[in-house]
Amino acid sequence: MTKETEHVIEVEKLTKRYGELRAVNGISFNVRKGEVFALLGPNGAGKTTTVEIINTIRTPTSGKVRLLGMDVTKQKHGIVRRIGVLPQGFSSFDRLTVKETLQYYARLFSHKNTDIDGLIALVNLTDKTKELYKNLSGGLQQRLGIAIALVNEPEVVFLDEPTTGLDPRARREVWDVLQGLKQKGTTVFLTTHYMEEAELLADTVAIIAKGKITAMGSPGELIEGNANFLLLKLQFADERAFKIVQQLGFEPIHDNHNKLKIKVAHTDDVQKILNAIRDAGMPLVGLDVRKPNLEEVYLKLTGETCGEDSAGERSAE
Amino acid sequence: MNLRIVIANLFVKLISVYREKTTMFFTLAFPVILILVFGTIFMSQDNVNYHLNVQDLDQSDSSAEAIETLGQNGKFKVTMVDPAVSAVQYVKDNQVNLVLVIPQGFETALLLRTDHNDLTATVTVTNVFDPSSASVPTKIEILNGVIAGVNQEMSGVPPFIKSVEKSIFTRKYRFIEFFIPGIIAMAVMTLSLFGTVNLNTELRQKGIIRKLSTTPITRSEWILSDILYQFILAVISTIVMLLVSYAVFEVNLHINAWLPVFILLNVCAFVGIGMILTRFVREAESAAAAANAISFPMMFLSGSFFPIELMPGFLQTIAKILPLYYVNEGLRAAMIFEDNMAALCDAAVIGAFAAVVLILGVTITKWKEDK
Repeated sequence: MTKETEHVIEVEKLTKRYGELRAVNGISFNVRKGEVFALLGPNGAGKTTTVEIINTIRTPTSGKVRLLGMDVTKQKHGIVRRIGVLPQGFSSFDRLTVKETLQYYARLFSHKNTDIDGLIALVNLTDKTKELYKNLSGGLQQRLGIAIALVNEPEVVFLDEPTTGLDPRARREVWDVLQGLKQKGTTVFLTTHYMEEAELLADTVAIIAKGKITAMGSPGELIEGNANFLLLKLQFADERAFKIVQQLGFEPIHDNHNKLKIKVAHTDDVQKILNAIRDAGMPLVGLDVRKPNLEEVYLKLTGETCGEDSAGERSAE
Repeated sequence: MNLRIVIANLFVKLISVYREKTTMFFTLAFPVILILVFGTIFMSQDNVNYHLNVQDLDQSDSSAEAIETLGQNGKFKVTMVDPAVSAVQYVKDNQVNLVLVIPQGFETALLLRTDHNDLTATVTVTNVFDPSSASVPTKIEILNGVIAGVNQEMSGVPPFIKSVEKSIFTRKYRFIEFFIPGIIAMAVMTLSLFGTVNLNTELRQKGIIRKLSTTPITRSEWILSDILYQFILAVISTIVMLLVSYAVFEVNLHINAWLPVFILLNVCAFVGIGMILTRFVREAESAAAAANAISFPMMFLSGSFFPIELMPGFLQTIAKILPLYYVNEGLRAAMIFEDNMAALCDAAVIGAFAAVVLILGVTITKWKEDK
């Protein structure tokens, strides 16, 4: 297998400056053919700038980016025919129906044989075929945006925050569509600030903060490599538990509803804490021990939360 | 250049405007309203008829005959004022701007002059007027003309200088026929300029331009589809304007091949200006204000509504550097005077201007977002 077929995206020392601000600061990574690659980070981390340089919307300040073996700064026309893009904050023509919108984009790509009905079915919009874009809910508009990104049967699909602003139900509807793409073997470049989304969909996750990639690997690798601890959650009816755990040398954190969250190195520590509580004669209401998830890894690596943006949620149907 | 892409874009724009019927209605209705309002005003000016109040203090057969002559002139609709009231007070109380007062002794003086050949017998009529009224000087001028005619007649000597009117055109044209080509030029300019600016800023703000930049569509294809779209709207608008003009004012204008040529050149020029504006003014509100700043002076200075000869000399010079002036002149040359050479010269000027702004528009239009 040649390098070109193996890596559909090659990014080397990519930098983008806006005046004094370095939005992207010398990042390098590769994306393999057929994988779902997620760029994970908070708002303003440089995700959109990075993806928009790769998909030719923006030009880099320095560095090299090759997409499908082509230089993104010099071979835009060759590239755009082979990729599909759902830009951040996607919108379309208000007074076109779902079917007309897809037909329009198919014509732009001169694709005579695009299976418009098949695409509509893929994103579960069959009963909305004749609905005007402006009358669709936020979730349905995003699903149409994904269908538009697929009209030219692209080799790489770029989805820039496809679920931002959607409510949980609409978000899951979009995830179903993305899982369908993953099963078909389409290469997907995804940016998100939702840990759950990256963990559920991505083969490779790159965590980006302040324009730099701080960690990269599969969700499992990132958790194994960066979070060698267990999370113990205890629920008490007695406030004294906090002090008892503290006296054992741990650093408990108060959660809601009299819950304590404690990071422990291994299972022996769990036993030690439980013994101390039993000896103090305090009743235990609830107990949960689990490995950390991507969110805890992210917090450890960046010290930031990956919160929802302030735009509010767009509703599902 | 891929014509399938151009046609796909054109379809999107046409279907969108067709489904927004309110916008479509007002787009077509605005120039029609202008034609109806201004046409009605100026048509009545072609047959201007002033109200004239006359106070006959003589109350004689001769004075009555003189007043009847004034009415027969065709320029005045005479209203009599009671001889018992003060003419000055009458002007103040009744919001009239002029009362012609025929003095007592009118008939006596007339008989002395005509029957007894007494050359010292004269009569003085008084014009009592409101100086704040704009139509008074015209009325007095007409009255003085009538009086001069009567004096000339009574002198019994034929006038030394006589004048006749001879137009350089085979037929007389009315103001409405001058006005309609100007309104067509103005409406096409407004459609193209505002249509381009509004559409492009809206699509940019909604992020659709950003999405389109990731498709194979080129700037040339985008602008060509915009020109075709604006041209179709302009042709529809022109047809509506002409139908109304023929039906309501029975205009006598020549429809020939120059009409679509000038519409197309007008569209190209103002789509080009619209593209340039959209490049520099990014917000929809600012873009509309900038388009207004360009279109309003153009409308009033380039001779759309009235001949530029009515303006001061320096404004006439400015008018001649405005592109709309050449569209107005060209359309009038073609539709009124059937002067192909003049139309060709105007088409050459507006064509050259359109080519420059279009090339500039295509060159500076950016799909990429780097701010």
